[in-house]
Amino acid sequence: MPDVALPTDERTDLDLIARWKAGEQRAATLLVERHAHAVARFVASIGARDDVEEVVQDTFVRAFASLDGFRGESSLRTWLFTIARRLLLDRRRAAKRRGEQVEVQEGDAATEYDPLDGVVADETQHRLRSALEKLSPTQREVFVLRVSEGMSYAEIADTVGTTEGAARVHYHNAMRTIKELLDD
Amino acid sequence: MIDCENGELRDLLPDYLHDRLDASTRTLVERHVAECSPCQDELALLRDLRGTLHRAPRIDVAAVAAAIPAYRPAARTRWASGWRIAAAIGAIVVGGAALTFLGRGGTPAQIARAPITAPATRVPDVGGPTSPASAPRVAQQPTPTPEPAVAPAPPAVKSAPAPKGEELAMAGGTIADLSDGELSDLIGDLESLDAVPSADVESTESFLTGRHRGRHD
Repeated sequence: MPDVALPTDERTDLDLIARWKAGEQRAATLLVERHAHAVARFVASIGARDDVEEVVQDTFVRAFASLDGFRGESSLRTWLFTIARRLLLDRRRAAKRRGEQVEVQEGDAATEYDPLDGVVADETQHRLRSALEKLSPTQREVFVLRVSEGMSYAEIADTVGTTEGAARVHYHNAMRTIKELLDD
Repeated sequence: MIDCENGELRDLLPDYLHDRLDASTRTLVERHVAECSPCQDELALLRDLRGTLHRAPRIDVAAVAAAIPAYRPAARTRWASGWRIAAAIGAIVVGGAALTFLGRGGTPAQIARAPITAPATRVPDVGGPTSPASAPRVAQQPTPTPEPAVAPAPPAVKSAPAPKGEELAMAGGTIADLSDGELSDLIGDLESLDAVPSADVESTESFLTGRHRGRHD
């Protein structure tokens, strides 16, 4: 199996973390700017609704509060996704305890927050979104991390708490489903 | 849309899309895709899907960044508390030695010059057999100064009576036996000891820089 090259920006992340620990607050801002949009995409894709920005902010606050525990064994972005995912799950559980309707409707993740919704009449986009809506939550989570963020199966397994093999199976099942739906 | 039969290579298409392959693997994928129609279709689909998924919700990145607090190291507290404990033990030992010496009639000036001895409770009996190694060093070392008040001090420690109850720490006298003058001298000497760190962790740095330097300027 050929090697997959490491992302080129991991060293920069570690440098920025070191600079923030040395008292340079600007380094924290740069880290947020590098990863905030990706975290927002991810939490939206796995079901965050009106609280995307809130979840993103909580994710970064928690991450920075515990950066002493970050050893760089995974990429910072993978670590942030893991925190974001747990935060979102906690919010869902809390909402469920309060009796709120928290079932994520199929398609929420892919369509709810696009500012261009209703403006872009692109048939291809609509078809792709419809296909993504048909995926199970786990399939969509894995598929988004693989296709949108370019994560390896190992990184996906770390993020969603599964095995590399299971992540690979979810990805290929998702791809097969999307192809079938597009062929219909 | 059909799938390529080369599953291993097909599995690398997302990595190729995100430029996460090394040069040789990338070349391998490019050569395969150039000749494989199903992989060309799948790569085009992946590009479209990535474009769709990248339409993210808008967030205020500046607001998120503004919520990040300044770094506060967590380990320093443990270090500081351990240091405080060690310093407190040191202060007790020095204070105990000072009280012991005063109980024998020593003066604060003698305390400063006298070696610190073990507590009187651990001094072996004078009449008992003692090996050179186990004999108290205080009793065998010649006093470095000719003052007669210092030289008799070690034998006084050796002949201390067996301690009782709450008087263990005083080894022959209680603090109530001290005169007002002796008590005042003792308190003054203890306050002048530099070995006791401040309880305020943050003041350590200023001790090493401004405040401590200011005391001697």
